[in-house]
Amino acid sequence: MNVREWALITFTILAQMSVGSFIVLGIVHYFTAKKSGEKQADELSDRALLAIGPVLALGMAASLLHLGNPINAYKAVTNLGTSWLSREIFFGVLFAVAGAVFAVMQWKKIATFTVRNVVALVAAIIGVALVYSMSMVYMMPTRPGWNVITTPLSFYVTTLLLGVLAMGAAFVANYWYVQRKNPGCASDQCVLLRDSLRWFGMASIVLLGFQFVLLPLWVALMAGSSSASATMLVGEFGIVFALRLALVFLGAGVLGIFLYRAASSPGQEKVMGAVAYVAFAFVLVGEVLGRFLFYATATHFGLQ
Amino acid sequence: MAKQLGFYFDASACMGCKTCQVACKDKNDLPVGVNFRRVWQYGNGSWVPSGKLWTPNNVFVYSVSVACNHCEKPSCAEVCPTGALAKRADGLVLVNADQCVGCRYCEWACPYGAPQFNEAKGVMTKCNGCEDLLAQGQNPACVDACPMRALEFGDIAELRAKHGNVNAIEPLPVATLTFPALVIKPHRHAQASGKGMGRIIDLVEEA
Repeated sequence: MNVREWALITFTILAQMSVGSFIVLGIVHYFTAKKSGEKQADELSDRALLAIGPVLALGMAASLLHLGNPINAYKAVTNLGTSWLSREIFFGVLFAVAGAVFAVMQWKKIATFTVRNVVALVAAIIGVALVYSMSMVYMMPTRPGWNVITTPLSFYVTTLLLGVLAMGAAFVANYWYVQRKNPGCASDQCVLLRDSLRWFGMASIVLLGFQFVLLPLWVALMAGSSSASATMLVGEFGIVFALRLALVFLGAGVLGIFLYRAASSPGQEKVMGAVAYVAFAFVLVGEVLGRFLFYATATHFGLQ
Repeated sequence: MAKQLGFYFDASACMGCKTCQVACKDKNDLPVGVNFRRVWQYGNGSWVPSGKLWTPNNVFVYSVSVACNHCEKPSCAEVCPTGALAKRADGLVLVNADQCVGCRYCEWACPYGAPQFNEAKGVMTKCNGCEDLLAQGQNPACVDACPMRALEFGDIAELRAKHGNVNAIEPLPVATLTFPALVIKPHRHAQASGKGMGRIIDLVEEA
């Protein structure tokens, strides 16, 4: 492992987190607006929306660190015909642009609610395409530990899991910010916050279920395609792998239940907020370790 | 069919002296760790006691000299995001250093270890068939350096007509990944790619 691989870990995790956050935020905003009106929905989610851009920008900046010759980075979208790496960068830039257009429209309330929803939907679809091309970059016969179906599937689970818990933490931060600025005004917001976090708690438990099917499936497929990778994962990196499992289980599972419980009982906002922060932190570290293992256990087929 | 240049390698003649590797290193002024041509030793076997003697049990070893195979379906060029890696009209797969972004994606994609990263330059480098020597009507440096005359370079169709169609023996990967422009005369112990009973030995090397 070296700077180059940490750059890729940072880029893939942050880009996936921003896509997941964007999708989760869109769903929450859509249903909140239906239930409680646009104004309340905007109050709940507008500041969280603005947090997504910097996360993506940071990820893309980190991706430059894995290049030997970053001066040519702008040329890396010129082989869209055959290179998944070109497509990844293309969709990454497109997602950033579409997301930024939507964020400006939403922030300044440009155009109608419906038009903004359409723009958000387009950006979300680009985001889905981005995560797909990110996973296809690793699907090559010369990298047998990666060239398995769990690579795209687990990229999507990571996207949604980080999206749900990042937005949980962002909603809590937004709520405290509103409370501090204008105490007592936010009782409707408080109900919406609890509703959202209850939903986030449940979603993270369900996603953990997917994660815990995909992880052993990955080990099984990898044992077939690259036994050296599987041996490294459970041998040399066994402790990291155990830590990765424990963190995502604690964050998304155990704390997911606490989040659901705390969000279900009014007056528990402080506990709920703390749980949301810690759950996000655990799952983020767990997913970073998971991505570390993805790169660290890779083997090469053929001569190298 | 378009013109396609490629190498012929005679594994039955190669004695693993690595003169080709060193000639390439010298000609291309390659830094430590970068070798456009490499000689791999592939072998297996053990010694078993029988009475007071130890007798060889399936002991074999042979050498395979590998550079870029200027594949007919080059996976390095396919994945290259900038198009810096591309096939020329004569079939050579070349890196345009001015286009290369140094992402090393080609390194992951190539099953022959041909594209190699030059830390000092920050870009990928690889065998270019000694295109400057070719332009003067000469052979690549590795070909002329070989004391066993185990290497040839030229139009792959002619090389195939002359030497046959074998293009994969262990430790090379199966040829269907990238269709290498390579002809091999197998060593008598040569193992079929993907079905080898041996392993790469003599890995320790820092040159």
